Amino acid sequence: MNKPIFQLVDELPTNNLTTKVLGMLDFVVPGEWNNLVGFDNTIRAVTGETDESLIQQIGERAVQLYNDSSQGYQRALWLYQTVDVSDKVLASGILANKVGETIPLLGFLGHITPQAQKAQTIDFATKLVVEVVAFCQINGIPGDSIGDFVASLADYSGESLMRIVALISLDGLIPLGPRFLDQALSTISALNPHELESNQTFKSVSSLIPGGNSAGQLNFIGTSIDSVKGWMSGFVSERGLTPQSVLAPLKGIVDFSEDKLDYLAAFLDISTNYYEHTGTQTLARRLIERAVAEI
Amino acid sequence: MLIQFRKSLLVFLSVALLLLTSCASAPPSRYQAVQKESTQKGASAVVRESQSGGSFNRFFPPEQDGYKRIYTQEKKGFAEAKLSKEGKELAVMSISDTLNLPTAKAKFANSAQKIAGYPAVEQGSTATALLVGDRYQVKVLSRNPSFTAADRASWLERFKLSELAKLVKS
Repeated sequence: MNKPIFQLVDELPTNNLTTKVLGMLDFVVPGEWNNLVGFDNTIRAVTGETDESLIQQIGERAVQLYNDSSQGYQRALWLYQTVDVSDKVLASGILANKVGETIPLLGFLGHITPQAQKAQTIDFATKLVVEVVAFCQINGIPGDSIGDFVASLADYSGESLMRIVALISLDGLIPLGPRFLDQALSTISALNPHELESNQTFKSVSSLIPGGNSAGQLNFIGTSIDSVKGWMSGFVSERGLTPQSVLAPLKGIVDFSEDKLDYLAAFLDISTNYYEHTGTQTLARRLIERAVAEI
Repeated sequence: MLIQFRKSLLVFLSVALLLLTSCASAPPSRYQAVQKESTQKGASAVVRESQSGGSFNRFFPPEQDGYKRIYTQEKKGFAEAKLSKEGKELAVMSISDTLNLPTAKAKFANSAQKIAGYPAVEQGSTATALLVGDRYQVKVLSRNPSFTAADRASWLERFKLSELAKLVKS
């Protein structure tokens, strides 16, 4: 059976490569993400309540809501988990390194195959679309107008904002360069449905991507990127984000040379699960917000 | 003497083993019962007859005096919006259908408090709720210490409560 939601939140790691990398990206959105773990901790932090019987009631309602598969929460978590393709063997190899030491990328070169630019671009696009779909599974489509919905999306904060920062940095800027958004749009518009179908990342989540068939899904992906492009490019220029600015802090964790950025991107991709990690935190937060309002 | 020592060593080891094994397995979660109950066949958190979340949006207070309202969730039987001012989150406002959670409605039964003529309760240290038409719960939750219980009551009054009451009859 799948793990209960309280267990998933209780078991979120406090110190691994994922949390370290996210911690290094804190400079982009200072203080937004503080790696809140533990189900009861999350209830206390989200609601500000300390009464144990109230916490129990809130937690129980959140568990009920999560376990009702018609409510979309399980689908959202599945999306966040599945889009993160991690390599357990490599991850355990990394863990074998002493804590506190920088990980030499050189030692893993033989285990990593960097993706071609096109595949990397589809990965970025797929993760972006997963974010939109998971948002709707968790929150519905809030408000009565497109404007309400866009306002709701633009209100990203906390771990949700950190997930987007990581997406921009690790799956955008580092592997694709400063023009990653334009590149994503032009690649997707020139792509044929068959190429999309053969991409591993897309294939793993395609059953929950709207569009009917792969041609429709391709269209949905293009529209999604197009609609967030304005916000995202504004965010990148406002914060002065460049490949160099996000690479600099990563040097404290991984020892790499700048002519191996494709390897670095592939390494981070398979050794971290920031979508799953922050996605679980987002889901817990939203469930708890609903639960405390409903009880 | 040696036998004595061996005996006490044995006792010590068995106690240690007992302690170790009892520590190794995590204590059962306080949510184990609800987990079991809500994963039974046929269990659901939201009933079919529940009102849709989207039908609640129009009863929320309008934006005014520099306060911003951002809708954040819309699920069956539930709608929620965030209230902020000058970029600071102050409160969360919600409407929910208590058909999905009868205990939510039950808490109003012994309430002497009224807000805008509707039965009302304070819940914990951050929430104030009222019940419209014996069915819909309207709640305001503080998300900032500056947003007091009086503020919550005042914002509850700004919902279109009498119109929401008509939804019960429709």
